Amino acid sequence: MIWLTWRQFRPQAVTAIAALAAFAILLGATGPHLASMYAASRVAGCQGNCDHLARNFLAAVRGIYPVVFTLGLAVIILAPAVIGVFWGAPLITREFETGTFRTAWTQTITRARWLATKLILPGLAAIAVTEGLSLMYGWWAAPIGQAARVTGGVNFPLGMGPFGLPAFDTHGVVPIGYAAFGFALGVTAGVLIRRTVPAMAVTLAIFAAVQLAMPLAIRPRLFPPVHATQSLAANFSGIQNQGPGGHFAFTLDYLDGAPGAWILSSGAVNAAGQPVSVMPTDCVHVAQTTGDPTQCLASHGISIAVTYQPTSRYWPMQWTETGIYLALALALAGFCLWRLGGRRLS
Amino acid sequence: MTAVIETEGLGKRYRRLWALSDCTLSIPAGHVVGLVGPNGAGKTTLLNLAVGLLAPTTGTIEVLAGPPRARPAQLARIGFLAQDAPLYAGLTVAEHLKLGARLNPGWDAEYARRRIDWLGLDPGQKAGTLSGGQRAQVALTLAIGKRPELLILDEPVASLDPLARREFLEDLMEAIAEREFSVVLSSHLIADLERVCDYLIVLVDSRVRLAGPVDELLATHHLLTGPRRDPATLPAGQRVISASHTDRQTTLLVRTSEAVLDPAWTVSEVGLEDMVLAYMREAAGGGRRRAPGYHLEVQQ
Repeated sequence: MIWLTWRQFRPQAVTAIAALAAFAILLGATGPHLASMYAASRVAGCQGNCDHLARNFLAAVRGIYPVVFTLGLAVIILAPAVIGVFWGAPLITREFETGTFRTAWTQTITRARWLATKLILPGLAAIAVTEGLSLMYGWWAAPIGQAARVTGGVNFPLGMGPFGLPAFDTHGVVPIGYAAFGFALGVTAGVLIRRTVPAMAVTLAIFAAVQLAMPLAIRPRLFPPVHATQSLAANFSGIQNQGPGGHFAFTLDYLDGAPGAWILSSGAVNAAGQPVSVMPTDCVHVAQTTGDPTQCLASHGISIAVTYQPTSRYWPMQWTETGIYLALALALAGFCLWRLGGRRLS
Repeated sequence: MTAVIETEGLGKRYRRLWALSDCTLSIPAGHVVGLVGPNGAGKTTLLNLAVGLLAPTTGTIEVLAGPPRARPAQLARIGFLAQDAPLYAGLTVAEHLKLGARLNPGWDAEYARRRIDWLGLDPGQKAGTLSGGQRAQVALTLAIGKRPELLILDEPVASLDPLARREFLEDLMEAIAEREFSVVLSSHLIADLERVCDYLIVLVDSRVRLAGPVDELLATHHLLTGPRRDPATLPAGQRVISASHTDRQTTLLVRTSEAVLDPAWTVSEVGLEDMVLAYMREAAGGGRRRAPGYHLEVQQ
């Protein structure tokens, strides 16, 4: 059965290897120069005011590099979906549509073993491909990520820190979970729907929904967030919005003393810790005359309350999320085994 | 006589539609059994149940004295050629043989290779580019190569042209002669079955209408032609399967184990096809659907 699975999987495997090779060539051709630019910028090993060096480096990253940077992120984010749609969904539907399941299931092999082999080999390949892309990209983009972290998020999205949407989802071990889940989801849709094109569409829709729900709704709650209060210092780097009638809001995207932390929520509170949205009248006046009411607000005891995930939770969150996706993938695989080994069949 | 397939009240429902219902039959071992019936009689459903591709909704089915599915030991004993001979279009003929070897512990590689060779097929050709006849041959090789005790063929020649059909059946007969296994073969083309089968089962609406060795069936069915008369006046022991009348003449198909003595009748042999058709018509509601004055064509 391993041979048959491999033989049936061969065209996809060739495509995957070609895609990996193309990605490797693209990164291999541009990566060393990017690394040498980074070394020349002396951002690494810099003491003191590094912001300037990092900004210079990022400004020098032009031409093809931002293109490769964005393309790489897109490839890694899309890979599990593409695998689910083009490897997972047709895996079983193809057998149903051509009737070959009748040939396969009347050989001396149980359906459970047949399906298990078909799941394991392409499933592992899906994981290897996606994680392979991620590791290559991780090597390539490391200088940009490091420099952008120094600047606190200028020019490149990786500057949002390791928890940022493209960064967290494309690095570490989570691509393993996404690939396994995408593939298993495709297979399950195929087992239930039995027709290739609708199964592909359903796979894509569900996978996209899950991949949006995870960073927006689930990942922030994987671990209870840490609460902190940040004073409105003169070098306050948050974004402030002012509206009519003294209404104001603070949004913090960088927390002093916790660089790279994932800020989940932030807002102005008074000395008692209650949220405030209207400035004291004297501060409204300051805002109107100087444009910066920060010090006035600070003198009123107003500070910023923040909830965040510290960087120390990066790997626990990576592993937890990967575990969730792998568990989902295994549950789907188990369902497929149960379903095909079960009674109903057309 | 042991049975290769034995069913009891067997039924299979797809959502609200019964493809087979309350089917009780016994298919004896050591024969080439032809399973005939009109489209929709439940032949394919019955055979898919027999090889475990389907699970029954009601009733029981035993194949080679065991439940049809689940264990590899049972799967190894049954060779199956599904309708339209589904093969992997992207795999070559040789790769299909390799598939057979990898998935069947009892695989007879020597036989399979010899057969493909003898059929004149190119082992390197992709199955997707084979003709219908060639595909059926490869699928048959796959089914026989696992050395089954029972070979089940579901409409193996339905989609083949007449020449390919004849060649396939001749090859099948040779394979059957060469190796010893029971065969169950379904078809709605009775003329084809006549060539290979020595036992016949007529299935209409899930019911067995006629079953028995072909010789015996032919020996006990007679076509009587004579002056017009009421079939009800025939002696006991002569069962009328079909009757047709013109103004002056009556033609009857009767089943009897005794000789027909009445000199008023001209007794002639009946062909298998006419016999089977008569049973199918009988099942479909006697002669009511026929046009008046219909004559049964007689093959001498």
